Amino acid sequence: MGNELSTKLEEVQKQFQLTPDLVVRHLTIQATGTKAALVYLDSLTDNEVINNDIVNPLLSEGPVNKDEHPFHTNVGNIRKGTEWADLESAILSGDTVLLIDGNPDAFFLDTKGWPKRAIEDPQIETSLKGAHQGFLETGTQNIALIRRYLPDRELKIKELTIGVRGKTKVWIMYLADVANPDLLKVLESRLAAIDVDSIINTGELVEYIEDNPYSPFPQFILTERPDSTVSQLLQGRMAVIVDCSPSVLVAPATFITFFQSIDDYSTRWMIASFIRLLRYLAFIIALILPATYIAFISFNYEVIPMQLLLSIAESRTRVPFPPLLEAMLMEITLEMMRESGIRLPAPVGQTVGIVGGIIIGQTAVQAGIVSNIMVIVVASTAIASFIIPSYDMGTAIRLLRFPMMIIAFMFGIVGIIIGLMILVAHLVSLESLGTPYGSPLAPFRWSDMKDTFVRIPLSKMVKRPESTSPLQSRRGKDNRRAGGNP
Amino acid sequence: MKKYAKNEISLMQFIFIINGAQVGTGIMSLSGELAASSGTDGWMSLIIGWLLNLVACLLIIQVFKRFPDDTVYDLLKRLFGKWLSLLVVIPITLYFTIFCCLVQIKAMLYIKAWFLPQTPDYLIMFLFAIPTYMVAGKGLRILGRYNELVFYLTAWMPFTLLFVLKECHWLHLLPLFKDGIMPVIRGVEPSIYSILGFEVLWIIYPFLKYKEKATQGVIIANSITILAYIMATIICFAFFSPDEITSYHQPLLSLLKMIEFSFLERFDMIFLAFFLFVVSSSWISFMFMAAFGVSQMVRKQDHSPYVAIIAVLIIVMVFVIHPSWNQANEWQKWSSRMGIGVAYALPLLLWAYVQVYIRFHKGDTR
Repeated sequence: MGNELSTKLEEVQKQFQLTPDLVVRHLTIQATGTKAALVYLDSLTDNEVINNDIVNPLLSEGPVNKDEHPFHTNVGNIRKGTEWADLESAILSGDTVLLIDGNPDAFFLDTKGWPKRAIEDPQIETSLKGAHQGFLETGTQNIALIRRYLPDRELKIKELTIGVRGKTKVWIMYLADVANPDLLKVLESRLAAIDVDSIINTGELVEYIEDNPYSPFPQFILTERPDSTVSQLLQGRMAVIVDCSPSVLVAPATFITFFQSIDDYSTRWMIASFIRLLRYLAFIIALILPATYIAFISFNYEVIPMQLLLSIAESRTRVPFPPLLEAMLMEITLEMMRESGIRLPAPVGQTVGIVGGIIIGQTAVQAGIVSNIMVIVVASTAIASFIIPSYDMGTAIRLLRFPMMIIAFMFGIVGIIIGLMILVAHLVSLESLGTPYGSPLAPFRWSDMKDTFVRIPLSKMVKRPESTSPLQSRRGKDNRRAGGNP
Repeated sequence: MKKYAKNEISLMQFIFIINGAQVGTGIMSLSGELAASSGTDGWMSLIIGWLLNLVACLLIIQVFKRFPDDTVYDLLKRLFGKWLSLLVVIPITLYFTIFCCLVQIKAMLYIKAWFLPQTPDYLIMFLFAIPTYMVAGKGLRILGRYNELVFYLTAWMPFTLLFVLKECHWLHLLPLFKDGIMPVIRGVEPSIYSILGFEVLWIIYPFLKYKEKATQGVIIANSITILAYIMATIICFAFFSPDEITSYHQPLLSLLKMIEFSFLERFDMIFLAFFLFVVSSSWISFMFMAAFGVSQMVRKQDHSPYVAIIAVLIIVMVFVIHPSWNQANEWQKWSSRMGIGVAYALPLLLWAYVQVYIRFHKGDTR
């Protein structure tokens, strides 16, 4: 880089043209009496730290120890660099660079500071009894949120940088004595292989590293909850934190992990098990109820008992459309209502609900556009699809019911069964980081059943799930027996 | 050298592949056939069939004992050389292909008869081909997972038969051996036809992770199959009178028709639709075996293109011939005879040959 301060500064100015927030402060270091300059981006740094902890000590404090840096600061994190590229990336990431006349090194002082928001309740994954802290857009803060739960030195963090332009920092967090090293290797190599401009969001990252991009099912868990991330880490999974993104990726996932919620572990186990079963039922309803309606009405009406058939026929007499069109009309209206509800600001959002409720629920039936039964079918499908705790899984199921409806319209019950067959075939061949997605059902793992369809008492859940193939499978002992009776 | 280590299957998958291959459409008509050949003692023929199956399975395992990493194709090549082995390999592959095709055709005929009389048969076959390609094209491990999941999804089905228990007349079954032992022997033939399928063992054995559990695996697989068959047969016998039952083509379906719920008028249709899952695990297993056989014959690693080729050939065949029930039954007779060759005669012959072979080639078998 050279020794002369003025030439170095000239070079910096040349590199950072049209950068009005670049600040260069000239000063003389009190300790050695040499000339120096601080270079930083005003927008990415904490001004108070610069003034109080860098400029003040530099200007006021006396002689220094020869072995250490030739100046005084109160900043803890100081790095040295000699390359222009290092200097550039340090400035752009919010560090302050100290250039000293006659010294070939540049010193990078950690002064990062940018607009942040306060910790808020998670928006998508609300919970009744879980913690009310959600992840934020600052990666280091997210790490802190996780670390608070796990003050364990086995909690390792690997730092990577992804994106040629964005240079997004990505951290892999895992418990070194629990997580399977082979899976870690797979994850690391997939992350390292990404070659793009920039990663804006964790959802984008997922698309680059997932096993099958042509699947409607999420193959990694995206969560905004520190507590569920920690619970997954303890089960032997790995978390990937992406800077600037409030959701954290957890891998590997299985199909059933999307039906587990953090609340399951903080409510009584019987209730939690009941709710768990309810979710699987909801999954089936959301997937095939409209399709079954179509199949029964247009093909196999002999399956329906006489009285029910009569009332269905009666309510359908005024409807001029075939069942598929009737169902599509309603389902698509419902999807539009859902989507518009998300985009609208909260006060206006209610209007959509009222309009939808009145127009679709009542008037459409009175006008003879859809039948009563259809409204019931669509409404229960909608409710069922929102029970599933994972938003990604919920949307996958909502999408899948459309092909199911079409195949049911074409082939009746047989169509539904073929559709389910294709679904099963797809699910068993799907993998997440190379581990089977259908586990613990296919391949069957008896010990994982304790936390699949039901959630047995935590004191009996002494093992980590086998589907993550953890190094250390025991997570506690049978705590009921250990206490003993007096 | 373990060349199949990549696709190793667990004991459960091993069991369910055998079981899945065995249970096909046969169960629907089995009780009628048994009643025709041996009266109400027919269920005992199933037990004999089960014992025969076990013997054959154990023989196959014995054959492989010295060559644990070989499929039947590798083994035959090792024993008889590249060209001579084709004499056996081609019929085996052909048998798997024909059986796969037959199971699909039968399933298609059931569907046409009960659900979709207007839909062209090749279209139904095309629908079958999609999940078939998705599973069989992927490899044995995926097939194992599929069969396993299908087993759990359909495990409730035999228990629905219990709904008719209160209308059963158990006296129909008595006395045992009412016409002596001969009718029971005569019933062995139809019962063997419906429990063919364990011959997939010829191919899946080297993929099993823990070979020492193979015996346990085949016993469990065959027992699950036979228990379901015996249960269905006995309930059919007890429900219908001995004369009445022979007049039905598919007594099991006629029996299911009697089950009625206040919320579901025709339970048999739901049952049959779900039964398609069970049947699919049979034809998909055979499809894998067939495609694997072809890939071995042409010495290619990847078998998935052959799944597609066989599937297309079957669809074309159905499109040209439009098979009827009678044709399907006729073909079934022929293929079952081939099956007896592959499943019972081949193990015996190979076992005998291997005994001689290892006498002469001591030491260089491994």
